[in-house]
Formats: sequence, structure tokens, C-alpha cells
Amino acid sequence: MRRAPCSERVGRVALSALALSVALGVLAAALAGLAQGERNQRGNLIVSLDGRLSPLKLPRDRQAPVSVRLEGGLTTADGTTLPRVTRVAIGLPAQAAIATRGLPTCSQRRLRNATHAEALSACRRALVGHGRLESDVLLPNQPSFAIRSRLLAFNGRVGGDRAVILHAFAADPPTVVVLPFRIRPGSGRFGTALVADLSPALGPWPRFAHFEVTLSRRYSYRGRSRSYVSASCPVPPRFSAGFFSFARASFTLAGGGRIGTGIARSCRAR
Amino acid sequence: MRLRRWSIVATLLATLLLATGAGAAEAPTRADYVTRLEAICKPDNEATQRVMKGARSDIQAERIALAASKFARATAIFTGTVRAMTPVPRPPADTTKLGKWFGYLGEQEGYLKGVTAQLRADRTIKAQRLIARFIHSGNLANSVILPFGFDACEFKFSRYG
Repeated sequence: MRRAPCSERVGRVALSALALSVALGVLAAALAGLAQGERNQRGNLIVSLDGRLSPLKLPRDRQAPVSVRLEGGLTTADGTTLPRVTRVAIGLPAQAAIATRGLPTCSQRRLRNATHAEALSACRRALVGHGRLESDVLLPNQPSFAIRSRLLAFNGRVGGDRAVILHAFAADPPTVVVLPFRIRPGSGRFGTALVADLSPALGPWPRFAHFEVTLSRRYSYRGRSRSYVSASCPVPPRFSAGFFSFARASFTLAGGGRIGTGIARSCRAR
Repeated sequence: MRLRRWSIVATLLATLLLATGAGAAEAPTRADYVTRLEAICKPDNEATQRVMKGARSDIQAERIALAASKFARATAIFTGTVRAMTPVPRPPADTTKLGKWFGYLGEQEGYLKGVTAQLRADRTIKAQRLIARFIHSGNLANSVILPFGFDACEFKFSRYG
């Protein structure tokens, strides 16, 4: 067999590298597209939601520990001011369960006026997640500005209901928001609903823009290992994967309107 | 001779003007287009939800043939909906976007037909791969028509069982 001349081989290597870089570029573009998640538009307002379960490979017939990542928010098509949100509701799938038995709780009182570090030190044992929150702030006679805060999620109770208490802290400008999401039975395909009413005490200025939260916590209770969130992939033996309505985010707006979107995701059976 | 030439030019101009006028009268606004398409999609969506009722539990219980027949009926409805939507005059400013959207709808139709065929042949793994592609194309289709504010014509996974 004749060996290709050196210049020809170099050319082939360069072509392969080019093909690989093009393929990686296409993959990156595809992933960037996926990162946006699903969106829905009503009038000028766009709602987006993305999320995933980790790990994807789950038992068919019993629950296994998972982490749930959700990311979403509101934006306007023309960049104008966001409307005020009065309620946020997030539906989670029926095959996922939130277990709080034996998990310490943290009260809203302990989180009010606490910095990120203080909140962690006061309630670390009740920590169930983390993330980020972004809000636009509109003050009269001033240009609007964004507040990007770090988010901690704690196990708690609100009015007798189990709750996920979100603590958002931004250093500049110094801001603390404590937002309790009550855990309620969901409807339809969503077995669990997390519902937060945004208190009028927050004032008319902050506008909910974007959130990103990962819920995950392993703990032990009475000598048994437990997980805050567990899920299964209940597909029949002849299938290796299943598709399900993974989450739904719904925002109630001041003035009565509502906008929401749902996402479908897959799981793989093991 | 000169008179004949003038009459030909005048006839051509008149034809052109009439054609332009007719075109302008037919060209709908985006809002009109959305209203017309939503009227087509809404009853078909309801029909899809009716025929797909229980498909998920059929698959769970491995009643694959029954699930296949439900997918076949849903495919027929989907095909009918796309066929009814295609001739509706499109807003001139949106023809490119809508062309792309109809492209994705065509892909979805193909995947649905494929799912039905694979389920009928009892090839469940191939069917599940096509379902993944069907959902992905639906999401891509939705991203194209986002500014239109469709409701019934938007792809929603939850309609399929």
C-alpha cells in the first residue's frame, strides 16, 4: 500500500480537525438552543422554563434519590417593563416525591435580614437547595436596574403546610427576600405543586425576572439514608425510556392575568 | 398601429393593477391569520385529546396494538389539521417564518406516522426514539411561532396522552 505524501496527510488531519470543530460548533449551538428551554408568549410577555432530573437513569419500580434543576422567568418581547407578579406556582411530576420526614426545618424569622453566610449558619441543617434569582427594580424617577441574588432553599413549614423557603441575598445593593413556597398536592400530571404568594409588602418596585434553582439533599433519619427529592422512571419492561410532563411554571400577574408554560422531559429506565 | 400598442399597454397595466389590488385584499394581518388557524386547530386538539385518552396507560399495560390504533387516529387528525392550515393565505411579512414552521409540522407528521408504524410492528424501542424526535420537533416548531401568540396551534406534549 502506498503511503500518502506528508502534505496530503497534513491536509487530511486539517480537514478532520475542521470537521470536528464544525461538529462541535453545531453541537454547541444545539445545546445553546436547548438551554433556553421552552417558551410561551402572550402579547408582549414571554415566559420560559427549562429543567432536568439528575441522574436520568432511574429504577422502573421504586423511587431513587434525584436532584431537580429548574430555570425560568419572564421577559418582554420589546424590552419594556415587566409586569408585577403576585403568585408563582411550579408543578412537579407525579413520579417525583418530596420527602421531609426527619429533616430539620428553618423558620422564616431566622432568615429575615440574614446575609447568605448568616442564613447558612442559622439553617444549614435544613438546606435543600441553592440557585440564583434576578429581579428588575423600578424606582420612581430612576432608570430600572437589576438585582442578582444568590438563592438558598430551606425546608420549612408555613401555616401548617410543608414549604420550601427561599432566601435570596444580594450584596449590592444589599437586599434580602424570604419567599416561602408551600408544598401542595398538584393536579393532573403534576403530583406536587410549589406555590408562593409574593407579599404586597415587597412593594410595587421589584419585578420577578429570572430564577434558577436546584433542589437536592441527602440526609439520614433513624439510621436510614433518605433523599429530599426522589423519582422513578415507570416505563414497561419493553421500553428503555419514558417521556413525561416534567414541570409547569405559572405566573399570576397583578391585574389578574396569568401566563405559564410546561416542559416535557425523558427518563431512562435501569 | 400606435393606438393598438397603447391599448395593449393599458390592458397590461390594468391587469397588473387588478392583480395587485386582489393580492392586497387577500393578504391577511398576523392577527387575522392567527384567528383563522386557531379556529382550525382548536376542534382538532380536542379530538386528539379524546382519541389519545388512555394511551399512556395502554403503553404501561403493554397494550401496544391499542396504543398504535390511538396514535394512528391522532396522526390522521394531525395530517388533516396541517392540510387544512396549509392553504390559508399567510401574512406576507411572515412567510419565511411560517414556511419554517410548516417544515417542522411536516417533520412531526412524519414522526407520528413512524411511531404508529413501529408500534404496529411491535418495535417499541424504535417507537420511543421517534416519540423523542416528535417532541423535539414540536418544541422547535413552537420556538418559530413564539411571537404569534398561538394557543391551540402550539405543540403541547400533554395532548398526546
